[in-house]
Amino acid sequence: MTTIAVEQSVEGNAGAHQAGQVAMVFDLNKCMGCQTCSVACKVLWTGEEGEEHEWWMTVNTQPGLGTPKGWEEMGGGIKDGKPVAGHQPSRAEFGGGWTFNYEEVLYGGKGAGAHLHPVDPGDGSTRWGMNWDEDQGGGEYPNAYYFYLPRLCNHCTHPVCAQACPTGAMYKRQEDGVVLRDETVCQGARFCMEACPYKKIYFNYARNVAQHCILCFPRLEVGVAPACARQCPGRLVFVGMRSDPEGPIHKLVDEWGIALPLHPEYGTEPNIYYVPPLAPYRLNEDMSIDYENPRIPPEYLESLFGPRVHDALGTLRSEMERVRAGGTSEMLDTLIVYRWPELFGPFTTDPAGLDRRPEAVAVSLTTKPAS
Amino acid sequence: MQVVAVRDDPGDPGAPVWEGVPSETVALAPVPLDAQPNEYIRTSWASRPYGSVREVQVAATKRGETLFVRLEWTGSGAERREFTDGAGVFFPSAEAGDGPTTMGSRAAPVRLWLWRERLAVQAGLPAATDLVSRGPGVFRPSEDGAASAPVGAVSAQAGKAWTVVLSGPAGAGDRMGVAVWDGANEERAGIGAVSSAWIALDGNASQTSKKEGQ
Repeated sequence: MTTIAVEQSVEGNAGAHQAGQVAMVFDLNKCMGCQTCSVACKVLWTGEEGEEHEWWMTVNTQPGLGTPKGWEEMGGGIKDGKPVAGHQPSRAEFGGGWTFNYEEVLYGGKGAGAHLHPVDPGDGSTRWGMNWDEDQGGGEYPNAYYFYLPRLCNHCTHPVCAQACPTGAMYKRQEDGVVLRDETVCQGARFCMEACPYKKIYFNYARNVAQHCILCFPRLEVGVAPACARQCPGRLVFVGMRSDPEGPIHKLVDEWGIALPLHPEYGTEPNIYYVPPLAPYRLNEDMSIDYENPRIPPEYLESLFGPRVHDALGTLRSEMERVRAGGTSEMLDTLIVYRWPELFGPFTTDPAGLDRRPEAVAVSLTTKPAS
Repeated sequence: MQVVAVRDDPGDPGAPVWEGVPSETVALAPVPLDAQPNEYIRTSWASRPYGSVREVQVAATKRGETLFVRLEWTGSGAERREFTDGAGVFFPSAEAGDGPTTMGSRAAPVRLWLWRERLAVQAGLPAATDLVSRGPGVFRPSEDGAASAPVGAVSAQAGKAWTVVLSGPAGAGDRMGVAVWDGANEERAGIGAVSSAWIALDGNASQTSKKEGQ
């Protein structure tokens, strides 16, 4: 029988006595917005009824409203040690998961008079989608700019989602820090969706349970990297144990300080990190180069990654200068990723060589272990 | 409250058998905020009113080994977006000393038959679930639910008025509490209205088992 944590602290079930923490680093300078990570996740985990609108992995163009629409203004998180009230994203704010008027177009006898379009079920979900504002970005010609921001559950050190769950269905695994939900216990109250400041929890209306990225934990358990990382053609997603001093995660985050959490002010201490994007220099009105100012406003990057972003970008630039001057840089070599498996820390097993797909055991493993 | 033994099926809210069954008006009050199970819920509802349904008509019948509880109330009638209306009846274990206002506790869990209005997309879900409650919203599936008679519900709505008949094993208990959730006000889990005192179920006592609801 499982144990219910009726009264949880802001710590939730997290962190204090945790054996390890799986973490990821996304190098935004290499992300080309191809959505291969999104599709890899979608194909693997959210293909059933009720999951049509669920994209546990998304890539959005920044600046932008993202997904769900305007998520950065929806509250949640932790401030001064206290949970902050948040908004539960609606089906319309997530959007997507559309059905189309195939019957009318293909069999309606209307010929060219009928055109394919999504059919809104009445909840407004056809007015937004997981990547609705793709490539709009910000700025004005000739200094328009944008970059891509992949997002998934941050598997936070202080998972306020788990703290907000009244049933105790949500928990943070002691062995690797993955935040999971026992779907046999979840009653669909959705306080987790309100409390999560990153709004990466979805609601499965058909099954009356909330759902979110499980960090491909059945793959991790057999040494296979999460699908979003392994499928990424840009070689930009690092996976590993945060505490491994020889691993790239520790070096990028703790040693070199060039990988930062998104919105650190939300207070939950994410375990997904980002190498912030460098940018071309701005152009002056006469089209000469303004070497003093990057095209992506530093204050915008600070609004995303906190004040440490300036030091991180400065470190990246100085390393690039060193290499341009003929020197070497372990940091840049790490970011270039000459050998693909080096991205995945201890999770380098090829799933094609396994007897069975690790994902096949996931349904039974979502049950919270006895404590 | 008298549990009236009946021959005809009382499962439908409009079944004629209910016409001869006396009902009681039961007052409801919001589940206390300080009893909510975590700081997030207490914080996020600190300045929001809830428990908007303040009374419910309750009647009960027994047919064979099945207890039927009919609940009638007038809801807000407001548009429900993310959350639907709901109602439930609680049965304490024989040892439970507390009232129903906290929906049970860890020391004294209660059995909960929970009905929630279903959306069209939720057609595959049961109308009611058999749960054990250990506090406001601290609900878990009943572990012995599959071994006993299934819990069910049939609902009818006319304007703002709901009539719901919940049914389950008659041995659930000889006392019960009642709760109602207003979906338009995003009420769910421990955010709802609950009766302040147990309702004695006269005529159901012989079916009571101390194991139920634990």
